[in-house]
Amino acid sequence: MKLDGQVIEREVDAVLEQGRRIQPAPDVVRARLLARARAAVAASAASPNAFPALSTPTVWRGRRIAVAASALLVFAAAAAAAALHSWVTRTPEIPPTPLRVPEPPAARASPPSLPAVEPPQPASSTRIQRPHRSIAPQESYAAELQLLQRAQSEYASHDFTNALVLVAEHGRRFPNGRLAEEREALRVRSLARAGRGDEARRALASFANRFPHSAFLPRLQEAARSAEE
Amino acid sequence: MGYLRQVRFPPPKAEREASCIAVYEKELDYLFETLQRLGSSPREIEDLAHEVFLVMLRNWSDLDLSRPFRPYLFAIAFRVVCAHRRRRRREVPYAYLDTADQATGPEESLQFKESTRLLMAALDTVPLPRRAVVVMHDLDGFSIVEVAARLSLTRFGAYARLRKARKELASALRRLLREGVRP
Repeated sequence: MKLDGQVIEREVDAVLEQGRRIQPAPDVVRARLLARARAAVAASAASPNAFPALSTPTVWRGRRIAVAASALLVFAAAAAAAALHSWVTRTPEIPPTPLRVPEPPAARASPPSLPAVEPPQPASSTRIQRPHRSIAPQESYAAELQLLQRAQSEYASHDFTNALVLVAEHGRRFPNGRLAEEREALRVRSLARAGRGDEARRALASFANRFPHSAFLPRLQEAARSAEE
Repeated sequence: MGYLRQVRFPPPKAEREASCIAVYEKELDYLFETLQRLGSSPREIEDLAHEVFLVMLRNWSDLDLSRPFRPYLFAIAFRVVCAHRRRRRREVPYAYLDTADQATGPEESLQFKESTRLLMAALDTVPLPRRAVVVMHDLDGFSIVEVAARLSLTRFGAYARLRKARKELASALRRLLREGVRP
């Protein structure tokens, strides 16, 4: 028993020793990875904003200073505006009588060296024009994702009609959304599984036209083919 | 004006990218092996390697290349694998992507009489945070200080993880060997 234990310990050591060697990656994979890397570099060269962190620390420092300076300016402007507002609305400077005791119009017209200050309106009577808040990209993406997930769960539960309805809704709301490729793929698969071979084929053709390099294509072709059979 | 002497101008972008690709090419085998050791399945491994490259490329100008590169590469690979696992747990995959993991699990690995397969099967039983430590220290041969620094651990934490991971790895290997698999 002890001898067996020793043998196993030796084998454990041997396995660990052999595990330290680094085996080369398959040539095909290596070539593919290098091609992808070169393509990524080419893409980053074509659009300089693809990798924003490529900028140097000096540039970042400059940007930070600019942001801090603009924040300071905004703060100073806000403080100045607040000071001006308080100066304008300061009560001791303005004769208090017009608001409290109504005077005859003649008396009111005589000494207007200062601009007339309108009494403050109740908050309910003023209509504050708030700027329309645009949907943040994250929110839009979440909505897109949620809708497509619903479509996907309908598809998973073999309710292809409902899946197609949701896909159509997604297409209407987010025609060029970030999940457009996934949506179109789901459309093709839903049509194929619903037995609508012709429509699936047409959808596939339009998908291939729009996303010619999509990784979904082989699967979709297979799905469309199986729908026709 | 003396301070201007301390300003380091980065190399031109094209040169930087070429050197990044050259280092990536040189370390590709190591990266591939590391991703395997961290438990990535064969069908994910290429995407993960490419993701690692993108991180490298993004940070290339800030890298200190006078220091050993592999610990840094390991740290990126570890974080990419962790992020990928979190994403995989969170996302609802599509039907055609929702296939079972084709990676060889411990049971499947038993049929392979190779020690690497055996080691991978044993490593699969060690949770990822501890696996990273044992791979980095015992297989890649990095010092515990380097391991702790790269994985953002305290030295004590790194030692604790290493100790536990070694136990788990050795017991998994023993179990697999007792079950009849020989390297």
